[in-house]
Amino acid sequence: MTIGKSLPRYEGLGKVTGQAKFPADYYMPGMLYGKTLRTPLASAKILRLDTSKAESLRGVAKVVTAQDIPGENGHGVIFPDAPILVEDRVRSINDAIALVAAESEEIAEEALSLIKVEYEELPAVYDPREAMKEDSPLVWDKGNILYHLPIRKGDVEKGFREADVIVENKYSTQMVDHAFLQPEAALSYIDETGNLVLRVATQYVHWDRTEIARALNININQVRVVCATVGGAFGGREDMTLQLHCSLLTWLTKRPVKMVYSREESFKAHSKRHPIYMKYKTGCTKEGKLIALEAEFIGDAGAYSSWSPNILRKSAVHATGPYYVPNVKVDAYAVHTNNPFTGAMRGFGAAQPPIAYEAQMDLLAKELGLHPFTIRWRNAFEEGSETATGQILETSVGLKETLLATAKAYGWDVEKLY
Amino acid sequence: MIGTKSFEAIVNGEQVKLNIPQNLRLIDVLRNYLGLTGTKEGCGEGECGACTVLVDGEPYNSCLLFALQVQNKNILTIEGLASYNNLHPLQESFLEHGAVQCGYCTPGMLLVAKALLDKNPNPTREEIKVAISGNLCRCTGYSKIVDAISAVAEKGVKR
Amino acid sequence: MGVEFYKPQKLEDVLDVLATKKGPLKILAGGTDLMLDIRNKKYEVAGIVDINLLSELKNISVEGEFIKIGSLVTFTQLANSTLLQERVPFLVEAANSVGAPQIRNQGTIGGNIANASPAADSVVPLIALDAICSVLSPLGNRDIPLNQLLCGVGKTRLASDELIVEVKFKLPRKITRSAFVKFGRRNALAIARMSVAILLGLDGNKVNAARVALGAVAPNPFRSLELENMFLNKAMEEIDVDEVIARSSMVVSQALGNRPSAKWKNEAIKGLMRQVLSKIGIM
Ligand SMILES: Cc1cc2nc3c(=O)[nH]c(=O)nc-3n(C[C@H](O)[C@H](O)[C@H](O)COP(=O)(O)OP(=O)(O)OC[C@H]3O[C@@H](n4cnc5c(N)ncnc54)[C@H](O)[C@@H]3O)c2cc1C
Ligand code: FES
Ligand code: FES
Repeated sequence: MTIGKSLPRYEGLGKVTGQAKFPADYYMPGMLYGKTLRTPLASAKILRLDTSKAESLRGVAKVVTAQDIPGENGHGVIFPDAPILVEDRVRSINDAIALVAAESEEIAEEALSLIKVEYEELPAVYDPREAMKEDSPLVWDKGNILYHLPIRKGDVEKGFREADVIVENKYSTQMVDHAFLQPEAALSYIDETGNLVLRVATQYVHWDRTEIARALNININQVRVVCATVGGAFGGREDMTLQLHCSLLTWLTKRPVKMVYSREESFKAHSKRHPIYMKYKTGCTKEGKLIALEAEFIGDAGAYSSWSPNILRKSAVHATGPYYVPNVKVDAYAVHTNNPFTGAMRGFGAAQPPIAYEAQMDLLAKELGLHPFTIRWRNAFEEGSETATGQILETSVGLKETLLATAKAYGWDVEKLY
Repeated sequence: MIGTKSFEAIVNGEQVKLNIPQNLRLIDVLRNYLGLTGTKEGCGEGECGACTVLVDGEPYNSCLLFALQVQNKNILTIEGLASYNNLHPLQESFLEHGAVQCGYCTPGMLLVAKALLDKNPNPTREEIKVAISGNLCRCTGYSKIVDAISAVAEKGVKR
Repeated sequence: MGVEFYKPQKLEDVLDVLATKKGPLKILAGGTDLMLDIRNKKYEVAGIVDINLLSELKNISVEGEFIKIGSLVTFTQLANSTLLQERVPFLVEAANSVGAPQIRNQGTIGGNIANASPAADSVVPLIALDAICSVLSPLGNRDIPLNQLLCGVGKTRLASDELIVEVKFKLPRKITRSAFVKFGRRNALAIARMSVAILLGLDGNKVNAARVALGAVAPNPFRSLELENMFLNKAMEEIDVDEVIARSSMVVSQALGNRPSAKWKNEAIKGLMRQVLSKIGIM
């Protein structure tokens, strides 16, 4: 009935009338306002943390530090290595150190300024290529290399020997923020049955719930996470930001708590797109057939794992682009640094490699005097193609149709370009 | 209350009178005192337009205005644009043209569009783009929003 | 907290508040700068003096040989003024290049001046026009040239109880050409990374008056006599465009010294100059 037809957005009415409720739009009588103290240092040891002045400020209901966490002090979509609140070791700028719940935002803000933290600064590393070296400062004692995926297919050495043209280059991409328009916000409270309820904009209701239960050391069925209207996410709401903080404040005060990030804190709190340093060596024959490809990806994971292994895996899998190459050698690494942590963002590791492999294609075409369309056409995946990881593409490989449609839209005479 | 002042204005057609802290922003009065949470805060510094309201018919960022600055003015928020079962043509057009995704930018977009069409019922696409240039959308992209606005601005929109 | 909001009805009342109320006091015009400065705790304030009820500061008028612009005139008003569109189009272009419609509705010319940003858009053409500010304080009235009023990044020679009432400049001769261009990171909502305002007075085909001002190059926008001289007393087609462009790069380079931005601004000015020259029809 409706296939091939655009349906009206079912929650659209609330959105055009201003009635849709994003998390910051919830209020409760008697609610407290929560704020987070974050560190300005990238790598340090906390020597002393003094919250006494903040606690005695009028209107402050609770100051929470790592010691107050009833359950486990860690979270993460794969490994729970991100601290909810830093206990002693700061690994990244903006790590959360303490939380305050107070009767007003202003009081909470003032309380933050009364918390004294004494640090010993430690050496830090900000470039994942440096972080891979033997003598690099260690973000984690177990070593900075979080993940390595090698892909081997055929014999690249032989492939390059047979190549007529080889192009070799380095590429890098930068850190990017999702900048979803709605900064993080949440409201938590204890309901009439004594359970914790959290209203938040999130991409993972079920996982938030699991992690909150683990942090509060309660049963998962004592936690209800209600997803409010989500003001954009793009991957940036996959990791926890204020979910655990807000829940902790409610659990420890037994009062409703609201937290709303400013844009600035939003930038500080959530993940970023991975900067990836890429080395590419691509060889092809005179006819423009790719014959060997060698690629190395070094992705900056920042201090905490988040989705880094999965993301660098995806980069590796996409290393050849949608082109058939018989001989492939890829090494993808996710490496810890003291930078802000990186995680999911639109493309999830598949967005960075095209910068490199498509540039390589253009350069090869130029060397050979071929049209950019031609070199792509001659190597394009089609049904039955085998990828670098050995996957046979069985159905739905629309690349050639797409190339044709694009070429026509450009007004290229494709008949001459095959 | 000590330190407060009386704030009077017409908000969505109704006379409002409140005592408020003197440095309060208009957005805070609308959201926290009047419960008009359709006005959104995206940046708090004039960059995103999510907090746009109309003051005497013209768009302003309510995050940059002290409430007392618009004393006695006529303020329109998204809640005043129309009622649930009697939508403004712009609201219908936004829904029809897929100009709404997450919806966080939508109230601001609708209000700048209304201000534009009230003054200039037949704008060019370029004029529409200028009118929405203070409003960021991170989801939808702008072409559907421009489409939605120009559809309302009569069919004969110049390209 | 604890901020007192004053809303005086008349100029005398403003002066009275400024003279008698507990400071630090800050004048509030549009508030597009002030709101953020206060929220970012750039300074302490005990009182905000909202001057928006002074409708006499909201006019654009011609008096004798001067155009007078009230300090509360907004960018939107500047942009919509037919008088300014006709006589000083580059001021209109500058006003239109500010922020976005919301910011132009709220931000004022007085605030743009008093905020003293190196990149203040309206200030660049005003400097080119040798504008003068009329300033009022409990001690009385005084006129001060804009280029003397501004004295560094965010700094002015205004006393804390002084108010800019209006800004005025001599009406340029009928036959002039002017243009403003701005280099920002994007089209809307971009603070100028660099800007140029140019105004040429013409006698037939001959340039008999030239003004060139640069923004976001020095602590405050400034006129470059060196560049102006390259236009003076020349017929339009005699102007050596390449020479002007090359010289503009030297002017920028001298102004910036070894500041990190010098490296790209020396280059970027060439493109800006080319744009501004083509806008006034020299290229
Ligand atoms: C999102 C955004 C984008 C912006 N984009 C631009 C841009 O593109 N170009 C640009 O130039 N600026 C830009 N600005 C800066 C700002 O809008 C302008 O500087 C504007 O002109 C300030 O005017 P206002 O009336 O809002 O000043 P206010 O904020 O009211 O005042 C600014 C300062 O001037 C003082 N002051 C104001 N009026 C007077 C007076 N009459 N006498 C004495 N002192 C006075 C105030 O006390 C304060 O210190 C932008 C600002 C924002 C928030
Ligand atoms: S919240 Fe006001 S402009 Fe972004
Ligand atoms: S729809 Fe999400 S920001 Fe516009």
